[in-house]
Amino acid sequence: METENLDKEIARKSAIVYLAITAIMALLFFAVTGLMGTYPMVARIGGVMWISLLTLIVSMPLVITYMKKKVKGTKRN
Amino acid sequence: MTKLEDQRSISFPVQGMTCASCVSHVERALMELPGVSDVVVNLGTNKASLNFDPTQVNITDFQHAISDAGYSVPTQETNLHVSGMTCASCVDHVERALNELPGVTGATVNLGLEKARVQYIPEVVTTSQMKRAVRDVGYEAVEQDTAVDNLDRERKVREDEIRRQGRNLIIAGTIGVLVMIGTFYDMLGPFQSIVPKFLSYKWVLGLLTTPIVFGPGRQFFVNSWRGLKHGVTDMNLLYATGIGASYGIAVINTLFPNAGFGGEGATFFESAALLTAFIVLGRWLEALTRGRTSEAIRKLMKLQPKVANIIRNGHEISIPADEVETGDLIAVRPGESIPVDGMVQDGYSAVDESMLTGESLPVEKKAGDPVIGGTINKTGAFKFVATKVGKDSALAQIIKLVEDAQASKAPIQKLADWVAGHFILGVHLLAVLVFIFWFFIGYDLFFDAGSRFILSPFALGDIGVFGFSLLLSVTVLVISCPCAVGLATPSAMMAGTGKAAEFGVLFKGAEAIEKASKIQTIVFDKTGTLTKGEPSVTDIITSLENNVPDKNQQMKILRFTAIAEQNSEHPLGEAIVRGANTNDLELSAPEWFNSIPGHGVEAKIEGVAVLVGNRKLMGERSIDFRALMSQAEKLETEGKTVMFVALDGQPAGLIAVADTLKETSVEAIRRLRQMKLETVMITGDNRRTAEAIARQVGIDQVLAEVLPQDKAEEVKKLQALGKRVAMVGDGVNDAPALAQAEVGIAIGSGTDVAKETGDVILIKSDLNDVIVALEVARATMNKVKQNLFWAFIYNTLGIPLAAGFLYPALRLVVSPEVASAFMAISSVSVTLNTLLLKGFSPSTQRKVKRTGRDKVAANQFSASTTSSN
Repeated sequence: METENLDKEIARKSAIVYLAITAIMALLFFAVTGLMGTYPMVARIGGVMWISLLTLIVSMPLVITYMKKKVKGTKRN
Repeated sequence: MTKLEDQRSISFPVQGMTCASCVSHVERALMELPGVSDVVVNLGTNKASLNFDPTQVNITDFQHAISDAGYSVPTQETNLHVSGMTCASCVDHVERALNELPGVTGATVNLGLEKARVQYIPEVVTTSQMKRAVRDVGYEAVEQDTAVDNLDRERKVREDEIRRQGRNLIIAGTIGVLVMIGTFYDMLGPFQSIVPKFLSYKWVLGLLTTPIVFGPGRQFFVNSWRGLKHGVTDMNLLYATGIGASYGIAVINTLFPNAGFGGEGATFFESAALLTAFIVLGRWLEALTRGRTSEAIRKLMKLQPKVANIIRNGHEISIPADEVETGDLIAVRPGESIPVDGMVQDGYSAVDESMLTGESLPVEKKAGDPVIGGTINKTGAFKFVATKVGKDSALAQIIKLVEDAQASKAPIQKLADWVAGHFILGVHLLAVLVFIFWFFIGYDLFFDAGSRFILSPFALGDIGVFGFSLLLSVTVLVISCPCAVGLATPSAMMAGTGKAAEFGVLFKGAEAIEKASKIQTIVFDKTGTLTKGEPSVTDIITSLENNVPDKNQQMKILRFTAIAEQNSEHPLGEAIVRGANTNDLELSAPEWFNSIPGHGVEAKIEGVAVLVGNRKLMGERSIDFRALMSQAEKLETEGKTVMFVALDGQPAGLIAVADTLKETSVEAIRRLRQMKLETVMITGDNRRTAEAIARQVGIDQVLAEVLPQDKAEEVKKLQALGKRVAMVGDGVNDAPALAQAEVGIAIGSGTDVAKETGDVILIKSDLNDVIVALEVARATMNKVKQNLFWAFIYNTLGIPLAAGFLYPALRLVVSPEVASAFMAISSVSVTLNTLLLKGFSPSTQRKVKRTGRDKVAANQFSASTTSSN
């Protein structure tokens, strides 16, 4: 039961971080393409989707592994 | 802190691993558990091995950790019929006894049905252990199911995987070809008439591709999502993003061609379909390879006999071989397999041990001789007493050694796994960078609508900035997939260790293979390794010879000396007595006998005064041996110990005793020198004797007068000179040197300590097997290097190409399907290259085969000449 709760806590904290990173990257991409002013809206949206997907894929394992170490380390101490 | 003796080792199967990064994830998941150390996960065998502290962690924790990481530990269920239970507490006892067994993940007992249902990990615990556990708490248990043994289960799992991927391949391949034809309909020329036009419609292509993506391709999405949820990225993710992106864009461009994603010109249905087909082809090939490379284990397991005929209370009864206990008397008839290890008590026969020792000739067995379980009785019938059963038997230990070796990791593989494990994230990052570059910079600078796909006549057409950047980004993902890396090393190691086992050479780990392939110097212990380790009579010189050997006089001297020495416990005396027995000389008791400590013996035999001893003794007794002195010195120069024999106070002759070389030593050393290896002999003998032996055998360097405890130090000195050293030995005193050397090679006839310490065990005592070990190691490492080349060259060349490095100059783009075809070729190359090792034959065996063929040819020639005459 304790392990389950711990896993849930790790999953929740991780999701907040990697979703935030993904959102920042997506917004950044959208903002830059908007500032440059030459890209059609569809390309910008497509780009946001692709960048978001790849950022999510890259950040999820990194963040979850980091959180696992951090949360379990805290509990052990 | 956990004491070392509290640690336990365990090895269990892991399902769902597909690549080297899966290996890292499983390893990491297990390492995170408390009390776990030395975790090694092998993709080739699909097994995890580790040491653990049972007070902190158990098999269920391993199962949970592995399933959390997105993989699973396969379990089996068996039903035992338990008799003797009368109440609820009996149920509790039986349940507890079963649940306490390591490897049992759950046991429930039904009193009414007298049945225990047990879930267990087949490779950790066996049903006979369960039955024994139940018996130990006072009940009887028999298997209710028809037992399908581990081997069959393992084979079934593998066959299921081959069948599953084969089915996926048929679906993806067949429909993929249709999608390909439809996509390139306009290019079919004269063949257009036989292909229906509707096949080229985008929505038809979409309908055809959908079952491929959600059928055979579904596994990649499911597995990658399961992994991602637990923070794990693997090859599935590369496939899923590649297939998903190609398919998603194609669907959008088909349903909403004006959405701005490239329109109908950028419907990559064929990319999604063929990408899936090629990846599934790779998976299918991998499943085939894994099955074949563990053939060696299967062959060994097949040797395990199922039934034993034991004699109890004077009656012969058949019982399962795994229920034989130490001390049981077992009857074996001609043609039957010997069920367990033991000692012959009664009878005579010849036993074929070739399956374990590689020795082609049957070995004679009589009372007092040992027999090995799994070998086959050829001619006579005999009875033997079981001495080693279950996991202690020689066959079980050989299987375990080969399994452990196949489950272990060579340093080169650890590096390859680490690279592959970190590669996936790197590749996704690269895909982001490629997309950003082409989206913001590259497209405006270099895009040309007339650009073409590599190995394709088709132009890219009017694709937008997003479609073009996405295309390159997806192609980078697909082309980067290092799936062949995961197979490169373990498949070759498995094939190599299996091949070595076929020739009676057992490597204890992949590291031993890697190190053995790099050896420069081989140090041989002398006694028992190069020599037979048992002195024997080599020369008898009589004073009456005058260059004409007098056989009668020689035998007379040998007989008198043997009679005088027959009460002696000195090794030289024993050698002389053995020599007399070998020559069928009758040894009577001496009339009178006196031992002269440190010098020799004197005796009265058949009225003759016999004096046997060293030069000093003869001098003290004033017996003049000057006529034989030059011959005595010559024998001593050859490393032999000379004994002087006088009869009735007159010099009668000399008897030389020496530890003789094994028949194979000279040939083995000659071959090793041909392999450009430095050979060294290490011995406690004096330098003259040692050098004489070394000259006979052809050894390069002699380390003489080395005390047993200093052997390891001598090996260290050689290593300090920068040499990579292998030590070949058999005795307890060789163990430190075996451990000190890069590779310790223990002779099978040697002591248990030596075999425990060695990295390589030669089942026979044939030194030619040292050559087999080194040749197999070299061939295996060559295969590993070639495989890694095939696995990485594709990525190394492919990534810059896929990322568009050459696009500004050549206006050529790699399409995702071509990328996946290259990837499949990479897996095929690794697979085929590994399978080539199956045909490997060591040079010593090639000679044996040739000699055999020559003999057959000679016999045929002889037969034909006889008949023609």
